[in-house]
Amino acid sequence: MEEKVLEILKAVFELETVGPDCSQETCEKWDSLGQLNLVVELEDAFGISLEPEEIAAMQSFQDIIRILKAKL
Amino acid sequence: MNWFVFRNNTVERFFPKGYAFSGYEDVSAIPADADGYVWFYQAPLGADRAALVEVIRGYGEKFRFVLEQVAPGKPFVVLTMTDAYDVPLTEDDHSLAVAVAAYNAGVYEAGERCPQVKVVDFNEFARNYPASELLDWKFFFISQMGLNPRLTKDFQAWWNRKLDSIALRRKKCLVLDLDNTIWGGVLGEDGISGIRIGGDYPGKAFLFFQEALLALSRSGVILAVCSKNNEADVLEAWEKNPYLVLRKEHFAAWRINWNDKAANLRELADELNIGLDSFVFLDDNPAERELIRQLLPMVAVPDFPAQPYELPAFFRQCVADYFKVYSVTEEDRQKVAQYKANAARSRAQQRFSDLASFLESLDIRITIAGADAFNIPRIAQMTQKTNQFNLTTKRYADTDIQRFVAEGWRVWCLRAEDRFGDNGITGVILIDGDAIDSLLLSCRILGKGIEQAFLKAVLARLKDEGVKTVRARYCPTAKNAQVRDFYERCGFACVAEEPDGEKTYKLDLDSADLEIEKYYQIIWG
Repeated sequence: MEEKVLEILKAVFELETVGPDCSQETCEKWDSLGQLNLVVELEDAFGISLEPEEIAAMQSFQDIIRILKAKL
Repeated sequence: MNWFVFRNNTVERFFPKGYAFSGYEDVSAIPADADGYVWFYQAPLGADRAALVEVIRGYGEKFRFVLEQVAPGKPFVVLTMTDAYDVPLTEDDHSLAVAVAAYNAGVYEAGERCPQVKVVDFNEFARNYPASELLDWKFFFISQMGLNPRLTKDFQAWWNRKLDSIALRRKKCLVLDLDNTIWGGVLGEDGISGIRIGGDYPGKAFLFFQEALLALSRSGVILAVCSKNNEADVLEAWEKNPYLVLRKEHFAAWRINWNDKAANLRELADELNIGLDSFVFLDDNPAERELIRQLLPMVAVPDFPAQPYELPAFFRQCVADYFKVYSVTEEDRQKVAQYKANAARSRAQQRFSDLASFLESLDIRITIAGADAFNIPRIAQMTQKTNQFNLTTKRYADTDIQRFVAEGWRVWCLRAEDRFGDNGITGVILIDGDAIDSLLLSCRILGKGIEQAFLKAVLARLKDEGVKTVRARYCPTAKNAQVRDFYERCGFACVAEEPDGEKTYKLDLDSADLEIEKYYQIIWG
């Protein structure tokens, strides 16, 4: 799961390198539009529907992993 | 192209990179550096219907406000509005639909009044999806998206097709198989009266299809036939079956034989002088479709429906995918006649053993006229568009041509006609004193020796006017290799050649051979 999420982060935010420290703080393109693109990709990749509360809480790679683990 | 999008919702995802966006409902700034503008206001979402009606009216006013301010020459693509959440509490409450219709009427009216406004029907996209798929309320509430973000790919594909159609880009030629494609049954087995066209199903479905194809051809799409049949049988069917809508006169060219269809398509492309990448090929036989896909990957080959009752939906898809253009001009309609005439010439050529007797049979008339107010726009357009038969490839605006005339240049254009049709103004020569500045001809008229006859006629005129020596140049480009030796072939002496291939020529008019074959009738207009 971690690998897949990193791949998605890399593609959505057009990063050259990506690591587990990736967050809204460190990633320039992770703004509200970026968040929207990220959500669509995550939902498609894992076949889930993220709730608005979960989306709002998703501010870093670690947040994403925590939320996905709770759902899957 | 730098597009700027006026919008009321989050739509960034739906447009390609490089687009810029207004703030939500913001019309306070109209950036002057944009090359074009897009207006994409979606119906407001809510339950207070009176308020929604007011908002929609306000959108209409914003649109008119922006329209008055955008620079007149820049394209302004306007999407119509589709109501996404219309929940009247009584059956007699049509207020939202009426407000949307009034907004759209204003948009259509602007499209008719202003040439820069191109109206795109958003409903054409929206109606492909159920309401639950078109809008995802979750994304509306968290991101103000009026359209489901999952439709991004579909929307982008649709949007690109719309931009193509606005730029008048489309496929030029539709190549049709016959048996079980535009009629039911097999002509060679069922006979002229046995094929299914008109009458009961499936003939009724094929009749529908033929009528649709005829309408397509009237919009300027060229129809051609590629069929494994005996040509004589098909010609007889075209003549004698009273139910056929598409007949011989509707096809610009055909290959009805037992050769492989890839070879036939190549020949059709030559005969019509259209690139294979402008072809769409329809055939009910999957093996034939696969052959074309493999051997001629530039040809568009849609899957053909298995059942005749699917033909109307198939036709709609073909129009959307390949043939829709924003509007059709008179020139487009005439283009079909011109291609048909070209094909007729090409077929006639096959009957003559030598080129001279073929040319003689054409009754070629070459009219050479000086520049005037009517032909200057066309002369300028030809300098802009002609690539292959163009000796120096200098691009000029109509104001340049006017200046040349005022400065005393000789500016002549050529109009070529023959017994198959009139090709209109298809050649230009610009002469500054004793130097040929530009010489170009449309590819449509090549292959008949008109280029040499034209030049010789012009040179003879210069000689009459007292010019002793003529200078000329060839400037190589990526596309004009076919004229690299044109001046040599016309008797000019090359006096200098640059390393990049540019050549300078001289011709002494007293000793030059300026005789023109008798079968070219030269008329000075």
